[in-house]
Amino acid sequence: MAEAALTVENLSLDLGPARLVDGVGFSVAPGEVMALVGESGCGKSVTAQAIMRLLPDVIRQSGGRIRLGADDLTALPERAMQTIRGRRLSMIFQEPQAALDPLSTIGAQIAETLRAPLSRVRGEVRRMLEDVGISDPERRIDQHPFELSGGMCQRVMIASALIARPAVLIADEPTTALDVTIQAQILDLLRRLATERRTAVVLITHDMGVVADIADRLAVMYAGRIAETGPTEGIFAAPRHPYTALLLASIPRLSDAPKSLLAVIEGRVPTPAEFGPGCRFASRCPRADAMCRSVTPVLGEVAPGHAIACHHPLGVGEAV
Amino acid sequence: MHTLEISDLKVHFPGRHGAPVRAVDGVSLHVAAGETMGLVGESGCGKTTVANTTVGLLGPSAGSVKVMGTELAGADRRTLRAVRARAQMVFQDPVTSLNPRMTIGDAVGEPLYVRGIASGRALRERVAGLLDEVGLRPEHAGRYPHQFSGGQRQRIVIARALALRPALLVCDEPVSALDVSVRAQILNLLVDLQARHGMSSLFVSHDLAVVRHVCDRVAVMYLGRIAEVAGRDALFASPRHPYTRALLASVPEPDPVVQRAKPRVPLAGEIPSPADPPAGCRFHTRCPMVAEVCRREVPALRAVGESVVACHLA
Ligand SMILES: Nc1ncnc2c1ncn2[C@@H]1O[C@H](COP(=O)(O)OP(=O)(O)OP(=O)(O)O)[C@@H](O)[C@H]1O
Ligand SMILES: Nc1ncnc2c1ncn2[C@@H]1O[C@H](COP(=O)(O)OP(=O)(O)O)[C@@H](O)[C@H]1O
Ligand code: SF4
Ligand SMILES: [Mg+2]
Ligand SMILES: [Mg+2]
Repeated sequence: MAEAALTVENLSLDLGPARLVDGVGFSVAPGEVMALVGESGCGKSVTAQAIMRLLPDVIRQSGGRIRLGADDLTALPERAMQTIRGRRLSMIFQEPQAALDPLSTIGAQIAETLRAPLSRVRGEVRRMLEDVGISDPERRIDQHPFELSGGMCQRVMIASALIARPAVLIADEPTTALDVTIQAQILDLLRRLATERRTAVVLITHDMGVVADIADRLAVMYAGRIAETGPTEGIFAAPRHPYTALLLASIPRLSDAPKSLLAVIEGRVPTPAEFGPGCRFASRCPRADAMCRSVTPVLGEVAPGHAIACHHPLGVGEAV
Repeated sequence: MHTLEISDLKVHFPGRHGAPVRAVDGVSLHVAAGETMGLVGESGCGKTTVANTTVGLLGPSAGSVKVMGTELAGADRRTLRAVRARAQMVFQDPVTSLNPRMTIGDAVGEPLYVRGIASGRALRERVAGLLDEVGLRPEHAGRYPHQFSGGQRQRIVIARALALRPALLVCDEPVSALDVSVRAQILNLLVDLQARHGMSSLFVSHDLAVVRHVCDRVAVMYLGRIAEVAGRDALFASPRHPYTRALLASVPEPDPVVQRAKPRVPLAGEIPSPADPPAGCRFHTRCPMVAEVCRREVPALRAVGESVVACHLA
């Protein structure tokens, strides 16, 4: 694999006494789409905010390192970070309308990423709008966000995030607020741009369908930790962590027998205040024993590039 | 007699700039006894508006809605109240559908108490039975909603909706607000309740895989109208309307081998506004098959194969 564009090592984030994110690590290569997948509240967005160094005041990074190429961002002063955001490291969000400035034209907003007046970079902005599939870019460039649909606003966000050719794009649930037909357009666009521009993409989602569609690799998070990580095809074909396996079996598919019993994960996701010792999935795991409830499992490789954190992993093809 | 019979239903809302929002604009469909009918389509196509009309929360602007033969359009309050006992609704967000200051036992028993059907010990027994039926512990009847998780709260909402043994259960996105890992619990419960009670159900969702999992027949809506209605297997195996086909092709399957082998037929463009719907076929601005007639004439619903389709070229 080529040298990583982004490396997150052993990241820990605290909210008061609660450890929201505990020892999360992964890396993304140029041109690669890496999915960070997990249920609501598992720590995907705060991980993204930590990478951007845009954490809310109440959340503290208590450990770990973030590297952009060879550069360590962890100790960089905020002024230096400002020159990196948007240029070498960009982010897009779930609600594109909320992330755009309602009072400024979309052309001006995209130009701002280049820190140039629109008049000077108009041609470049128009080409970028064209590249993200905005029809009639010459007219759209002077419009305001409210004149655009949700799907178009997300295209504008992507244009704005990618115009400076950053090495890394973090996309936090970029299609969750969109309809499926629009989602399909945006996912195709992200995949194409990652390949063409060699952008490393961290795609945050809770939707295993989205992962299956465009991710090269994925990391499954549960309650602030990585449960399983590896190549997409390998994990979908033979998940080794009980949580991943149950999650995949619990999703209705277009191919299974209608009204059949879906696999169920009993109970619910613990809140950070409820995190105890041992494996955080233990309270819901059918394989849990005394060791799981007391000793935290560490990530270990089960195949090249495929690692899980579980004391009692599934065999290849084994059901939970 | 069908449990639910909707004919040429129109629900229009006052628009901001004069033109009314034609949220529902000529929908006809029925739900037979014991049948679960799915209603799918993208955001804003009118699913919730149809659902709200069938339980009397919204009045039709035109057309007819009959629950167990009783007409809701223009009905007086007594009739509506009687119909509401027969048609119950489960909403998307279990948090806002429960009163935070009422114990869950009181919430589940309220419809029975208010209508004078049960009180005292008989009521407590009915509530215990209902809680048990949705997989909750009857001894938790004295607890408050905040003491339960999202999935458990949706069970409470379902128990309450079942209290009057409705003929029709209307579910509007019942699992969309839930964690992925608890959705299966609720879907299994709904399938089980259908089998045990044999009630009819209108099941609204934007998630096609979920609809396929729980429904017997499916209606696809686009911009306030029905595009296609068919039995589940026919609809998913041989969709006739180009919009149904596009919708199916857009669902990302949670299987990289299947998903990546799928032909890419991205649908161009965006959904037009229901305040200013396109003339002719409402789908013509995005349709890959569009012909001259589509821009001019509104396609009527007609039988094609095992489907009923509103498309000139199907
Ligand atoms: N009270 C209202 N006043 C004005 N317009 C409304 C009102 N309720 C709904 N609409 C409009 O009617 C159309 C249909 O809305 P509806 O909520 O039925 O859609 P839906 O299919 O349920 O969408 P979703 O998938 O987003 O829930 C939309 O354009 C919506 O903005
Ligand atoms: N600004 C904040 N203040 C306090 N807690 C927060 C804040 N943002 C996130 N959290 C908490 O951090 C945890 C992880 O949240 P988040 O990263 O948003 O999850 P995800 O994106 O995976 O849904 C949750 O328990 C959440 O409540
Ligand atoms: S470590 Fe134990 S509790 Fe955790 S997932 Fe593995 S078997 Fe289950
Ligand atoms: Mg998030
Ligand atoms: Mg709705």
